[in-house]
Amino acid sequence: MHNFNYHRPKTLSEASEIFSGAEDAVYLAGGQTLIPTLKQRLRQPSDVIDLSHLAELRGIAVEKDAVVIGAMTRHGEVAASADVRRLIPALAHLAGEIGDPQVRNLGTLGGSLANSDPAADYPAAVLALGATIHTPTRTIAADDFFTGLFETALEPGEMIVKVSFPVPKRAAYMKFRNPASRYAVAGVCVADTVSGVRVAVTGAGPYAFRQTEMETVLSKSFTPGALAGIAVSEEDLNSDLHATAAYRAHLVGVMARRAVEALI
Amino acid sequence: MDMTGDCLIPAPRQAVWDALNDLAVLKEAIPGCESIEWTSPTEIDAVGTAKIGPVKASFKGAITLSDLDPPKAYTIRGEGKGGAAGFAKGGAKVRLEEEAEGTRLIYTVDASVGGKIAQVGGRLITAAAKKLADEFFARLGAVAAARAAGTA
Repeated sequence: MHNFNYHRPKTLSEASEIFSGAEDAVYLAGGQTLIPTLKQRLRQPSDVIDLSHLAELRGIAVEKDAVVIGAMTRHGEVAASADVRRLIPALAHLAGEIGDPQVRNLGTLGGSLANSDPAADYPAAVLALGATIHTPTRTIAADDFFTGLFETALEPGEMIVKVSFPVPKRAAYMKFRNPASRYAVAGVCVADTVSGVRVAVTGAGPYAFRQTEMETVLSKSFTPGALAGIAVSEEDLNSDLHATAAYRAHLVGVMARRAVEALI
Repeated sequence: MDMTGDCLIPAPRQAVWDALNDLAVLKEAIPGCESIEWTSPTEIDAVGTAKIGPVKASFKGAITLSDLDPPKAYTIRGEGKGGAAGFAKGGAKVRLEEEAEGTRLIYTVDASVGGKIAQVGGRLITAAAKKLADEFFARLGAVAAARAAGTA
């Protein structure tokens, strides 16, 4: 690890002031990606800004028809939250399946989303549930948030404050996980929401995306059989040492079917 | 890993070819490129910063042009060293075909990486390489098209 200046601001404005005044600053959320990257010297920031003392970024609140989760809320807290388990059990289930207990006790919702790792779990739920991402200055719809491999609509220095998840009628998340990292080789979140059926895929492509073909057929008939005729295209899907694009395309179909089966 | 792709550039083939051999255009097209210069009629040195997700590495690269067949095709090969991050090398065969609406740029890329980035980033190398290649050719196409529009 190289030397850097460490900051632990107490307010949002202090955090963004430090960011804009530094040569090459990074925000530190749960550190589950950033810290290993620093240790490997694959990143050499001049300043690290630890967000763990920002009270505005913590906590889970129930608002009208939505569960609002602070960006620095740990995966373990979401998994254990009575409110999340009661209103959006799929989200609690998803959070409880991320990594291992060590990762869940440090990793955060905001960190996962801002990083937009193609194999992260949260992006699937954010997209399928039609969540809204709040930053200090604006709100971003889930559909506009993920823009590329490790890329989001966030501007440099812009952080996530909280995420508002509308409560769905029913939702389920199923993933085929890598047995070592527990990352999603392919994960599918199916949500029956007030604005229709939404299906989001993570792990398979360069970033999380919606599977509109499945949404269309499930809107007509919410049954596993409705998905039978859909051949998921392997085009633009990831190939790596864990799985080929064709295998990932197949897994997307299987995970979607399992998610629907879990809901009927 | 191997990748192929193509894009249609609304400009005549000669204009696209000129852009492909213009350092100012290459500088704009290479993601993160900070400086670029000829070291011989077919060799180029480039310096820049590549950033993908949590990883950010400065690189120094040597680019060679070969199999020159103006204004139809060339092979561009690059080899870069990213300090502690590791190294990458790769090449692209680029072909230009005339079409009614402009010029189609067809590319075949092969790339390989080594060092620490290859060890820790194994699951993402192909996706990252594809992203950089797509970005390079999309920007190249955009700049070539803008040039052609400006000079036409």
